[in-house]
Amino acid sequence: MDIRQALVIALGSIRSAKLRSALTMLGIIIGVAAVVANVSLGTSFNQYFTDELGSLGSNFIIIYSQDVNIFYDAQLEVIRNTPGVVGASAFNQQTAAVTYMSATRQIDVQGVSADAQEISNLPVASGSFLTDKDRYVAVLGKEVAEEKFGRDVPVKNYIDITFRRNDGTTVTQKFRVKGVLEGEDNTFVQGGPDRDVAIYIPIRTMNEILGVEDYSGFSAKTASAESVRPVSEEVNRRLARNLGVPARDIDNEDAKPYRIFNQADILEQLDMLSNSLTILITIIALVALLVGSIGIMNIMLVTVTERTKEIGLLKSLGYTRSDILTLFMLESIVVGVIGGILGTLLGMAGSFAVETYLDIPRVFPVYLIFLGFIISVIVGLIAGVYPASRAASLDPVEALRHE
Amino acid sequence: MVGKDLDRSVAEGNDIVIDICDLRKSYRLGDIEVPILHGIDLCVKKGEFVAIMGPSGSGKSTLMNMIGCLDRPTSGKVVLMGKDTLAISDNELAELRGFEIGFVFQSFNLIPRLSAYENVLLPTYSNSRKGHNSPQRAKDLLKLVGLDDRMDHRPTELSGGQRQRVAIARSLINEPSLILADEPTGNLDSKTSEEILGIFSELHRNGCTIVMITHDPEMEKYVDRVVHIKDGYIKNN
Repeated sequence: MDIRQALVIALGSIRSAKLRSALTMLGIIIGVAAVVANVSLGTSFNQYFTDELGSLGSNFIIIYSQDVNIFYDAQLEVIRNTPGVVGASAFNQQTAAVTYMSATRQIDVQGVSADAQEISNLPVASGSFLTDKDRYVAVLGKEVAEEKFGRDVPVKNYIDITFRRNDGTTVTQKFRVKGVLEGEDNTFVQGGPDRDVAIYIPIRTMNEILGVEDYSGFSAKTASAESVRPVSEEVNRRLARNLGVPARDIDNEDAKPYRIFNQADILEQLDMLSNSLTILITIIALVALLVGSIGIMNIMLVTVTERTKEIGLLKSLGYTRSDILTLFMLESIVVGVIGGILGTLLGMAGSFAVETYLDIPRVFPVYLIFLGFIISVIVGLIAGVYPASRAASLDPVEALRHE
Repeated sequence: MVGKDLDRSVAEGNDIVIDICDLRKSYRLGDIEVPILHGIDLCVKKGEFVAIMGPSGSGKSTLMNMIGCLDRPTSGKVVLMGKDTLAISDNELAELRGFEIGFVFQSFNLIPRLSAYENVLLPTYSNSRKGHNSPQRAKDLLKLVGLDDRMDHRPTELSGGQRQRVAIARSLINEPSLILADEPTGNLDSKTSEEILGIFSELHRNGCTIVMITHDPEMEKYVDRVVHIKDGYIKNN
């Protein structure tokens, strides 16, 4: 029988029971919307992670010491001399008591050198960044300068920082505020310390006050994003050899006194995290789809029972088994597809709303439209097979007698 | 008025529309075989208007189902338009119903969601004769039964008589060799019944072969021949 005419009949039958058809479709709408929204949101999050990580400083490698007295200038030189590294700097870190206008706060104090500005991407909003000649000056994170002390800490004011030394004594030193950093728009992805709530001082000053010569870590930069991974591996190899770590332990995190991260690794981990989240939620959405398809099947079975006499009539008018099968399959598929189209639209709107609310990139892969469509056709198809074959195999005499 | 094309099967030189020979039908009820028809012989010629009359339970509906290719005999022969219904496949049987038989039921059996016009057109979605302009033919047939101003009405918006007129128009859409009417006036008042029978008479005058199941003795005056059936036997032929 002609598909167009069968479609007209199927649509008429769906229209004749509007509420029931709508409720049946609801299951499919929710299922498809959930799948579409989840995949779309997953894609957007991936895009977001990539964008945000880029803003941390491009192509960075960061190495943390796991113990004291591991990293010295010699190790910094090893990193600097590794081919592919275009800049490296050492840093030290301590959470110290910082006092401004009689208010004292515990703040993350970072000792860095001048080239950290470029390597770790630390743009200045007012004043200027440290130079290697500076001694008792500090550059404040945006939040430290504007919020931590309940008032602004402008450039050229003085703060007191109280350090703890390894021997248990404390040293307090006055620092002049030389600059304030630009705010970070990401608070989500961290490859290094959160620059908004940190204070940067010259590393030589810091080590002098603390009476140490070692560093808590290094940050380095490579020439291109593509070279991050191989250069990071080379740095790891050279550093391990320099520190006397056996070659077989090169990838054993527990055997090395330091941890090395690079941008590619962090991206990969975030990808894995967001992918597994997407998969989990998509599985839940598929369960919703399954429930939706059972809903269609249920309604189609009711429809077959209700229309037994009609099926008998169609058979008496010369409709074959396959004609009836086509009619009912088509009806089920049409319910699925209409639900699928509405569900895809709802999923698009939903992910758009969430992405706007979270202020993450609005990425909508076009293939999702086809995915939603294909899923709904398949759901309609599967849900229709059993009811339609029941309808097609009805005995015409019995069916016509049915009231 | 019906149109000369209804004379088609005469032109083909096939004069016998129904040829039933020693038709037996029994149903299984658990382990018991319940015979309904005990050897029926019946022959209907082209252009005849035959009434099959009998009380309820006489087997006339079963006979009707055999003639209408809705069911197959247990034994014996039912030959329609020269085709042995026992020897052909389900799909061929459906095709035979679609092209050669026009059903008219007691309860009209119109599809409530479809308009009168769409109901008339319904058989053509499955089987339509080559060279037929079915949409035009549906309109002509609705005109023929006097419903040209009711084409877009749904069955619920029509009276019983009007519904049966739609059903008659539907039975004619594929220009069948045989109209099979199962108590077509059973649900209608006497005045409307007369109108409907008037339409059948006119179809008959124009050469249609009609077999009508009824238990109303009043029918006798409209038909060429009455076949009485009782307890699965034909009493006179």
